[in-house]
Amino acid sequence: MTELRPHFHDELAQLEGDLVLMGEQATAMIRDSVAALAAGDVAAAAEVIERDDPVDDLYLGVHSRWLETMALQTPVAIDLRLMSVILHVNSHLERIADLAVTVAKITQASNGLPHDPTMVSHLQEMGEIVASMVRAAMEAFAARDLTAALSLPEMDRPVNRLNRNMVREVARLAGDPELLEWGVRMMVVARTLERAGDNAVDVAEQLAFLLTGEFREFTDASHHD
Amino acid sequence: MGSRVAESKPVLRLDVRDVASVPMTVTIGERSEPAADHPAIFDVDGLNVHYGDFHAVKDVSLQIRKNEITALIGPSGCGKSTVLRCFNRMNDLIEIARVSGSIRYHGVDLYGSEVDPVQVRRHIGMVFQKPNPFPKSIYDNVAFGPKIAGFEGSMDDLVEEALTKAALWDEVKDKLDGSAYALSGGQQQRLCIARAIATSPDVVLMDEPASALDPIATLRIEDLMQGLKEDYSIVIVTHNMQQAARVSDRTAFFTVDMEQTGQRTGVLVEFDETSKIFTNPGETRTEDYITGRFG
Ligand SMILES: Nc1ncnc2c1ncn2[C@@H]1O[C@H](COP(=O)(O)OP(=O)(O)OP(=O)(O)O)[C@@H](O)[C@H]1O
Ligand SMILES: [Mg+2]
Repeated sequence: MTELRPHFHDELAQLEGDLVLMGEQATAMIRDSVAALAAGDVAAAAEVIERDDPVDDLYLGVHSRWLETMALQTPVAIDLRLMSVILHVNSHLERIADLAVTVAKITQASNGLPHDPTMVSHLQEMGEIVASMVRAAMEAFAARDLTAALSLPEMDRPVNRLNRNMVREVARLAGDPELLEWGVRMMVVARTLERAGDNAVDVAEQLAFLLTGEFREFTDASHHD
Repeated sequence: MGSRVAESKPVLRLDVRDVASVPMTVTIGERSEPAADHPAIFDVDGLNVHYGDFHAVKDVSLQIRKNEITALIGPSGCGKSTVLRCFNRMNDLIEIARVSGSIRYHGVDLYGSEVDPVQVRRHIGMVFQKPNPFPKSIYDNVAFGPKIAGFEGSMDDLVEEALTKAALWDEVKDKLDGSAYALSGGQQQRLCIARAIATSPDVVLMDEPASALDPIATLRIEDLMQGLKEDYSIVIVTHNMQQAARVSDRTAFFTVDMEQTGQRTGVLVEFDETSKIFTNPGETRTEDYITGRFG
């Protein structure tokens, strides 16, 4: 097959390459922010916050090159869908990095408070799953693997369940005001990780749209079980 | 059909409004329902065109619908112009051309023995790639067709109406007696469109109508087409895919197949709503062509 628009298609590949980079960085930020939280390591949390800037730079770069490409190349069909997907995935990944920053900031703000090891282990479990979801979504994207994309809601289910159980776990801490304050903050962490998981599911939804041309929400991404 | 023909000379006896309004008012759906498909004006089934031994177009089936713009796209030589010329029997004028299969026009076999190609062309106007006004005044270019057809109303009104519909009136109203050749290319093309619609055709065929025009004149023609489809049905051949995407309701993508004989034959790959073709085509060959992954 002769390639008649090599420059345009190179540009698409480069935009996608930047998303891969952002996906890797966002994944690592989620993982490291939860590790910093579990270790009560304020310096590590600060380091996660600093890593948001390079992600934002990538985000802005993709956005401005996206606009230029759109204006100059008038993409159609699979190229048009890929452009739409790039724009969405770009903001989902930027969002995931932001959510890691939120976790890191809560770690900083909770410095010195007592903590509950069971809840910490649950948050670690959530962080693990969410990080692997982001990676799985990006790998599915790179491989154009619809089956893998469709498995994301399944991966998200334990995240939602762990998040919902947080209320009950915090209730156990009600007797101790300091522990309770910490617990309420950890509820926010759980909610934050749960949203990061939703963003990973959204990336997979975008991939399904790219491959099928039909957009449908993976309905149980954020609700129900 | 046969019983309708009263005159001795074979004539395509068709009052288009008549035919269109009787069997084709299918159902008047409830308001909340989406508009039904526009009725088909042309129903093409298994169309084949040969030029001598050369099989130019193979097994094309599609419908052209009322008040829609249908675009024919595809690489050079895939048979777009050939198919377009079948719609008004222009291929009759090419001696070696042979058309087979069926084209029904409002249900009537367009190639039936009782159909008069000259009458056909009165119902089905054509605009060509290069503006081709007659070496006459602007007024006469528009009035020529209706005069021949025996138009009896106010010719001045008709000329004004056609020029207005073709978005040319304001530019020429003070020089109607001037030569059509004194107009710019874009104006000449709009004059040809005015000429084509002056005989109140049912369908206007356009073969790359904007390819000789600058981008502004092109956009004017495209804009004009949107207005014209209120009254007419339009079939346009274009090399400009973005033009097809901008103006048309449905797009037919043709390509060239290599036959076992080594001949290059035009085939219809995909025919669908334009929005579908340009966002999510059903065929890989369509996708490869419109995204430029085709050589
Ligand atoms: N009058 C003719 N005599 C013989 N062969 C013809 C004639 N007209 C067209 N052909 C052949 O039929 C095939 C289809 O031609 P046609 O003009 O319909 O293609 P097209 O899709 O309109 O191409 P283009 O985009 O270049 O205008 C070509 O191979 C062409 O050489
Ligand atoms: Mg042609």
